[in-house]
Amino acid sequence: MLAMRRISWGKYIFLILVAGFVLVPMFATVLGGFKSLGELRTNPFGLPDVWEFEYYAQVFADGSIWLLMKNSLIIAFFSVLLTIIIGTMTAFTFSHIKFAGYKYIYNYFLIGMMFPAAAAILPLFLKIRDLGLLDSLSGVVIPQVAFGLGFSILLFRTFFEQLPAELFDAARVDGCSYIKFYWHVILPLSTPILATVGVFVLVASWNNYLLPLLVLNTEQQYPWTLGIMQYRGEYGIEWNRILAYVTVTISPAIIFFLFAQKYIVEGLTGGAVKG
Amino acid sequence: MASVEFKHVEKVYSGNVHTVKDFNLKINDGEFIVFLGPSGCGKSTTLRMLAGLEDISGGEILINNKVMNELEPIERDIAMVFQSYALYPHMSVYQNIAFALKLAGMSKAEIDEKVRPVADMLQLTPLLDRKPKALSGGQRQRVAMGRAMVRTPEVFLFDEPLSNLDAKLRNSMRAEIKALHKKMKKTTIYVTHDQVEAMTLADRIVILRDGKVEQVGTPREIYHSPANKFVAGFIGSPAMNFIPVALSKQEGWHVDLAGQNLNLLGDVDDNQTNTKATLGIRPCDIHITPDLLSNPLVIKGKVENLELLGSTIQLTSRLGESQITVEAPSSHIVNEDDEANFYIDESRLHMFNDQSGLSIYKPKGKPESVVSQ
Repeated sequence: MLAMRRISWGKYIFLILVAGFVLVPMFATVLGGFKSLGELRTNPFGLPDVWEFEYYAQVFADGSIWLLMKNSLIIAFFSVLLTIIIGTMTAFTFSHIKFAGYKYIYNYFLIGMMFPAAAAILPLFLKIRDLGLLDSLSGVVIPQVAFGLGFSILLFRTFFEQLPAELFDAARVDGCSYIKFYWHVILPLSTPILATVGVFVLVASWNNYLLPLLVLNTEQQYPWTLGIMQYRGEYGIEWNRILAYVTVTISPAIIFFLFAQKYIVEGLTGGAVKG
Repeated sequence: MASVEFKHVEKVYSGNVHTVKDFNLKINDGEFIVFLGPSGCGKSTTLRMLAGLEDISGGEILINNKVMNELEPIERDIAMVFQSYALYPHMSVYQNIAFALKLAGMSKAEIDEKVRPVADMLQLTPLLDRKPKALSGGQRQRVAMGRAMVRTPEVFLFDEPLSNLDAKLRNSMRAEIKALHKKMKKTTIYVTHDQVEAMTLADRIVILRDGKVEQVGTPREIYHSPANKFVAGFIGSPAMNFIPVALSKQEGWHVDLAGQNLNLLGDVDDNQTNTKATLGIRPCDIHITPDLLSNPLVIKGKVENLELLGSTIQLTSRLGESQITVEAPSSHIVNEDDEANFYIDESRLHMFNDQSGLSIYKPKGKPESVVSQ
């Protein structure tokens, strides 16, 4: 009994510690935007003595942030959309159609997971240049989709294979082709895994810095990750402004995550227990 | 109006697993056929080949004299009910039933016109808006049947549809399936491993083992005139007693049964040259009698074990080397370790060739027994 209680206490302490690692920097960031530079230095984690709203106001007042956010949003939206469409279709094929060499092709996709994008910077740049996609948003979107595909296909395929096989038999007897089965049955049943993959891709795309830096040259095309560097350069070490800026820019990703989180747990553990 | 015919149908899976071997069967319009057999005998595979869910390795399957081998399931005009129901979890009962019609491109009004009567017939009308997970097992089974019925197909296929239900529900669903078949008079093929389902539902039963047809016949034929030892042992509960005997012929046939020489009144297949055979007798065809030792088919035995099952008692005894089971009305008062007289009903004897397993005995006054294909 005592041992049981000790274990559950240990569990709570562990969870609180982990939550602290995530939440403390986040609160410090949000609150940091309300502090003056001096206070930020002496009291980085506590509540501000004086609530200064001007830094947030300046971030909003500076029109460039909306353009940066819009670019980030476009890149993220198309990355998620394309990953989901291509990923589910490919995974569906691998899970339902057995053709010569499908295992090799599947593994070819999975090998992509082991390949870090940063290692491919030079060939990637040359390829994007050859395709004429330099300095365009699609030049960011397409490589992002390509690098995220292996992981997405792995997750999608595992999920699809856990769906009962008789469902496909029933659908065929009802008159479904592969495409109709995919559209009418597989996709509606896959919301948990769609949400999971969607969040992963969105967060990765939202925070991506290297690829936009490589591809984009015009300020009009910059996502917020590039914008922040410009911001930093302009104001030197005015951390309170940067913190306010970060708070504003990461909030869409957090909102999307909160919205999708109830599906995510389902998606990651889906099929573990008979439903 | 649909007849179904299997012509030399074969199924070989990769790795040379021969699941169905030279399957031949002609099913008449409106017939209720049950495929019965132990698991792995190829019954589901045969059904799935007919449905178009499995490729046919050899032979032909015909519906209404048209070869179906290369057609998609939807083009065969069949509907199928699956063991796990296979309802679409994200659709309501109504959408589940209507799905095939929607795929066929019918208008909303047409779909509604077809779905409502089916839902009424299956008492699903109050449940039409529910999702499958909010239904009980029996209700799910009815939705699965509704999904099959709404398309008014020529042939209904059932793949062990009741095996996920509890015993009580199984009985009532069985009766419902029987009643629906009577009403709709559609050709139906039903796969099961449950002999009670087979006996109660079928017009004809097809008994399969290891991908081969062992016997085709009405439930009565299968039970009373099993074509071979496998069918005899598979059908009937408790299972038939098998006793090795020696056969001899001197003015009629005799068997040496546990040291007693019994006269057989019926005929043994004349080609029978082997003197060894297996005698089969169902537990319910051995009766406990008061002293009647003048009758040649009365045998004495010691009651070794006794179980009261309610209306009947089941006891085990010994005939020579072999153990036998006897089923008697529970009004008999017998105790363990008693000596009892067992009277064997001669007209219900079976005799099987030891090598081929085929039935070789025709009791007196019995109609021509049905021989397997």
